[in-house]
Amino acid sequence: MKRSVAAWLFLAPALLLLAVFAFWPVLFGSVLAFTDFSLVPETHWVGFDNFRYIFNNEMFVTGLKNSLVFLLIVPCVQLGAIALAVMVNNQLPGIKLFRAAYYVPVVTTVSVVGIMWGFMFHEQGALNYILGTHIGWLQDDTFALAAIMFVTLWRGLGWYMVMYLAALQSVPQEMQEAAILDGASRWQRFWHITVPMLRPTIMVCTILSVLGALKAYQEVDVLTQGGPMNSTFTALYYAYDQGLKHLKLPRALAASFIVSLICIGIALLCLRYLKPKHR
Amino acid sequence: MKNSLLLAALMAVAGATLAAPVQHIEFWTFSMKPRFTPYFEGVVKRYEAANPGVKLEWVDFPWDIIQTKLVTRIVAGKPPALVNLNVPWAEEFARDGLLTPVDSLLGAERSRYLPSALKDLSFGGKTYGFPMYSNVAVIAYNREIFRAAGIAHAPRNLDEQLAFARQIALRTGKAGLCPALSKVDGLMLQQGLPVLAGGRAVFNSPAHVAFVRKLAETYRAGGLLKDGLFAEDNFPPAVEAYKSGRLGMLLAPPTALKRIQADARDVYAITDVAPAPLGPTGIADGGWLIHFGVPARVPAADLPGIGKFARFLTSDANQLEFARQASVFPASAQAANDPFFTAVPPDAGASEKAVAAGAVSMPHSRTMYVAGIEDYDELRRALVKAVEAGVTGRADIQQALDAAVAIWNRKLEVAR
Amino acid sequence: MKKTAQYLLLAAIALLCIFPFWWTLVTALSTEGNIFSYPPTFWPKQPSLENFVEVFRVIPIWAFLKNSVLITAFTVLWKLVLCSMAAYPLARLHFKGKKLVFGLIVATMVLPSEVNFLVNFITVTELGLVDTYSGVILPNVVNAVAILLLKQAFEEVPQDLVDAARVDGASEWTIFTKIMLPLIAPWLATVGILTAVEAWNEYIWPSIVMSKPDEFPLSVGVLYLRGTFGSSTRVIAAGTIITIVPTLAAFLFTQRYFMRGMDGAVK
Repeated sequence: MKRSVAAWLFLAPALLLLAVFAFWPVLFGSVLAFTDFSLVPETHWVGFDNFRYIFNNEMFVTGLKNSLVFLLIVPCVQLGAIALAVMVNNQLPGIKLFRAAYYVPVVTTVSVVGIMWGFMFHEQGALNYILGTHIGWLQDDTFALAAIMFVTLWRGLGWYMVMYLAALQSVPQEMQEAAILDGASRWQRFWHITVPMLRPTIMVCTILSVLGALKAYQEVDVLTQGGPMNSTFTALYYAYDQGLKHLKLPRALAASFIVSLICIGIALLCLRYLKPKHR
Repeated sequence: MKNSLLLAALMAVAGATLAAPVQHIEFWTFSMKPRFTPYFEGVVKRYEAANPGVKLEWVDFPWDIIQTKLVTRIVAGKPPALVNLNVPWAEEFARDGLLTPVDSLLGAERSRYLPSALKDLSFGGKTYGFPMYSNVAVIAYNREIFRAAGIAHAPRNLDEQLAFARQIALRTGKAGLCPALSKVDGLMLQQGLPVLAGGRAVFNSPAHVAFVRKLAETYRAGGLLKDGLFAEDNFPPAVEAYKSGRLGMLLAPPTALKRIQADARDVYAITDVAPAPLGPTGIADGGWLIHFGVPARVPAADLPGIGKFARFLTSDANQLEFARQASVFPASAQAANDPFFTAVPPDAGASEKAVAAGAVSMPHSRTMYVAGIEDYDELRRALVKAVEAGVTGRADIQQALDAAVAIWNRKLEVAR
Repeated sequence: MKKTAQYLLLAAIALLCIFPFWWTLVTALSTEGNIFSYPPTFWPKQPSLENFVEVFRVIPIWAFLKNSVLITAFTVLWKLVLCSMAAYPLARLHFKGKKLVFGLIVATMVLPSEVNFLVNFITVTELGLVDTYSGVILPNVVNAVAILLLKQAFEEVPQDLVDAARVDGASEWTIFTKIMLPLIAPWLATVGILTAVEAWNEYIWPSIVMSKPDEFPLSVGVLYLRGTFGSSTRVIAAGTIITIVPTLAAFLFTQRYFMRGMDGAVK
């Protein structure tokens, strides 16, 4: 059979699934955000009403604010991951064990992570025991968000470390050796050879990290469910809460619409101004 | 001729057996496993034995998952037949059209249930649930502290509570009371002070200001426990303070007395119990009704069978048994009058007296909350913050309440 | 000396990563004291397995395990099949609209997919797939990253093999199944393992689609366990350990595939 027909046949099932589960939600969701869709059979167009409502709502506004605060994690995770990657980029005995240890948080389910850190943050838990304090980290609205952000950081370090490690390992040895011969110090070599070679990876990782921070919500669900006193809501957690606990779908979709806009906006900005090197 | 008659008879019998469908009833409870597994399994066994055409399925969910599960199942068009709910959730779901009214299913058996419980479940003129059990508060007080402060009897209303608290602070230097002011909206309602009227916030009236002023004066005198006074969940610090003898009076459900008995025997020994004072509305404090509701989109044909089971599930005998096991109070009149709750054994400790005291208050118990507002938490917090500022003296009471009223009315406008 | 400092630093961070697991294990094995008390110890004082027994008694852990295994297995199977089928023409065939299709696939990586769960839930409901494995699996089966990784793998197969087969008159399907797939087997393994971990660990989507506790996979079941046991911390800890053990064991045996997967993603 003609090759192009064959090509389309190969692609068909995947494209169908993508159409149903990746594209349709974006279209349909965006439309529904402008209606009053509910269990009642009739649906009406309501324009920007849902958006007006959520921007007037403390939970969503706090959520947006918190999603932005989450961005503070990005430099911490990236710098930490680069540092870790550099430190494990060698053949020292036992280094593979260390790498595995750092990656373990990544392969653990969010629900389990949440339960374990729930123990650690408990008033009579490990953290208080070690610090000698008696704070309800997840019950006090001063600390709860920071605690959640810390857990996200904890989970993210290993993942990005592996990315940077792969990038580091593709730095050609000859350049390093030539630089050593020229008398460059370790620091100079790092700064002038390694970092430029890492730049595309840093770029990609930063974008992924930023998008991830803006979309954070699973840790919130498992650790605090938005409390205490709604201080740990994030924009997407608001969408999840409104949509699936209170069946206020149009509002939830309006919230996720806003998040999508922000994410797409950032992605486009990055692609435009910081074009990554193409292979 | 005889043959065809026989054949017809056979077919009729066969038809009858074939035509009797097995009704499948799925009912959900929240947070009943593992402690009450034997109880519910017993209920299921007994009902299935007495009703051969019915197959029951009992599913239990932790309270933090049940809301999502209910919503997703209703959307999927396959809701469970009965679901365990509390009153604020029921009100929200009823408002959003996610519950089916059950007046016809209650039928003649309505009168079995406590009228106050049924009132809790009436929204828009229809009843939305089968009451199962409730809690109500009692006042536990420390006899020694009372004697030291020269108080002779348990407080009979809020004013006396506050006055006693001030007296305790004056004479003994200890705190007298720790009301849950993060639920000050419920407290206002219990005292007959409306929070909403005609869709607008009205809690800045002179009566409300006077109410907050009374709290502020007691606070200034040291009568109100400072720990956790405005915390979302003020029960742990309050019960801790009472157990260590730093608090004169504790408003709590009778189960709390068991904890005090376990953790602080000395204080328990000098604890006495009285029914919680009724407010001017004649409503007792601390009411929290749990019931079974019927979700929306349940096939109408199934409703009679579901109703029959629901009535069994919440029968007098079953409610009594559950209440005894769980140390709560039944929501049916006959069970509530059972000697288990009303008779006080001669050597009763505070725990047993608490059960009797609570039973006295049960008919007057209503779940106090502000109904009908979406995203209510936000508004409640504005009110609580205003009351906190007024009580602790950080702001003028009238101004703080006015500001909160303005916030409420602005939000209520938008949400309209 | 410098090496020692380095090791110490690495060890400190490793400790931070591992500590919560250790704490949970210790809690799971502890039995002393009031059932609601928190033993702040680093070593169990009276270790016993009674908490684990309690978990198995009350919670359908075997059902959770079965669900996790089945969901993961089918997700991996279908993902490998469908994504490799999609990657092949993108890598090795020429056809009209190739650029468009490629662009669409990359576009799904930009679209924030987390927000789709609401509409996907409605879709799954309309299709009658609530409470089914299919409902859980289908939305996750096609994924741009997998397609791109496999595309890269296909591109590395030498063209001569393909030409020879074409000369012999083999159909595309034969080329695909008999030549291409076997040659990229290591990549299939990598994608398979990454998919397996993702499917095993996913909890939000299965918790939305499955409504009866018996149908939950382990990742959701462990939350059901936490809710059921409320403040019996030790039993919750025991259940958590039961959930982690398979994942950790599998991970330790297949580490290098993860690292390699990242290599590919970086490129």
